[in-house]
Amino acid sequence: MPLVTYVDHDGTRHEVEVEVGDNVMRGAVNNGVEGIVGECSGGLACATCHCYVAADWADVAGTPTSDDERDMLESAAAEVRPTSRLSCQIEVTAELDGLVVELPERQY
Amino acid sequence: MATAPIVIPENDPRNPVPFPLPRLAGPDQVPDHVPEALIRSTNMLFNPEFLADPYAYFSGMHEKLPPIYYDVGRMGNAWNLTKHEDAFFALRHGEYFSSASSTPFPRDPSDYFYFLPIEIDPPMHRKYRAIVDPLVNPQAVLKWEERIRKLSNDLIDAVIAKGECEFTEDFARPLPVCVFLDLMGLPQDMRDQFVTWVVQLLKNFDPAQMIPTMKIIGDYLKSAIEDKRKNPDEGMISRIVHAAPNGEPLSDKEIFGFVFFVFIAGIDTVYATLNNIWYWLARNPDRRHEMMADPDNINAQVEELLRVFSVTFSGRILKQDLELRGVQMKAGDRLTSILPACNYDPEVFPEPRKIDFHRPRKPILAFAGGVHSCMGAHLARLEIKIGLQEWLKRIPEFSVKPGAEIKYPPSAVVGPEPLPLVW
Repeated sequence: MPLVTYVDHDGTRHEVEVEVGDNVMRGAVNNGVEGIVGECSGGLACATCHCYVAADWADVAGTPTSDDERDMLESAAAEVRPTSRLSCQIEVTAELDGLVVELPERQY
Repeated sequence: MATAPIVIPENDPRNPVPFPLPRLAGPDQVPDHVPEALIRSTNMLFNPEFLADPYAYFSGMHEKLPPIYYDVGRMGNAWNLTKHEDAFFALRHGEYFSSASSTPFPRDPSDYFYFLPIEIDPPMHRKYRAIVDPLVNPQAVLKWEERIRKLSNDLIDAVIAKGECEFTEDFARPLPVCVFLDLMGLPQDMRDQFVTWVVQLLKNFDPAQMIPTMKIIGDYLKSAIEDKRKNPDEGMISRIVHAAPNGEPLSDKEIFGFVFFVFIAGIDTVYATLNNIWYWLARNPDRRHEMMADPDNINAQVEELLRVFSVTFSGRILKQDLELRGVQMKAGDRLTSILPACNYDPEVFPEPRKIDFHRPRKPILAFAGGVHSCMGAHLARLEIKIGLQEWLKRIPEFSVKPGAEIKYPPSAVVGPEPLPLVW
């Protein structure tokens, strides 16, 4: 399974194997990574699974995939940066093995 | 009133005990710390002005009432919140706001149980959510799409030639309830019976009269739970019965309270939303045409309609003293977030009364928020979307039956009924 690394705001790293087809939000929530909340469970209805895609991965995963995601990111509690994503919208694929996402200080 | 510090107990789902604090109700039960200037008696669910047009009332609350006021009345005394920001704060900060005792349903003190997961605070609630999330997350509900589409068309088939229907009975209730029964693994031939029970429970505000209905539903669900124990299937009840988070099966009380809560929550909310939406559509042909001309925008249309036609409320109890927006509240105070009003907060949704299908997407409170946000939200969205698509395709022109007077009955779930339509 592809490995996703979540880096907490304080620098703590969590390495989690996430199934292909699942998403980066669920990989965190199901494995106790508390820096992601995901309160709407992935319906683009909140902004509590905000993450920053690490620079090395920005080309493949650093851009929102819909206008809804772009709109909803504006409701994020923490600063929105160029590689901000809602992690529920990053579907895990074999190509994303090794993905690193950094987590904001707060989700609300 | 007593001034001793109030301690809200941490609920232990394996050892349910009746909530120790009484519900205050009425003007002679206002705590001393509540300033006179913030006391109101809106009598909301029963007030004729509210019932005449609940959504005009909800949107008008931002002009007519303080953003936080202490409502006093027979439904119980509580701080009411109407700001989007404040409701999200209350829903998202379990360290201040407990959802213990947040449902109004009476239980036998000698055989007490909690409604799960709603009455359990984080982080313990997560154990329960994790059991059912795989059945109701946005990806999981997609498997119901064809079933919902077929059911929508079957229901339309049954009435289309008649040129009229009573929308509640003929479409709004059967559509979500049939899907829900399949999801739960409950028999379709009990549909009308289930609806009757839940309606009796939710439209009756007298605890003494709720008790017998609670017993009837409880007895039925106990037998359904026993059946699933012996005959496991793919449904939600079976999944709850056989769940073993971290290798530990749920206790009988946990299973019962979980199944009971899901049962109540799943029967009565979508129909009220559909009735609100169809009542509006029936009176607004131009907006109907606008929606039909822009089918690719259906998701935004559904979200905007959910924003303006939210149907329910969210209760919490304060665990510790808190000052919010300059208002001093104390541990033990109850709060109600008026979710339908929060969705008309002009600070978040400019020109809030305007139904605008091209609004930038923002979090709405139709399904509450925070860790207890509605488990069925994605199924509800899908049902509304498909219901709209299929209905507008086949019955694009319709109106309220001439002469019919549409009323909102007093209910904790806001929707007009009956709703006779003609085409």
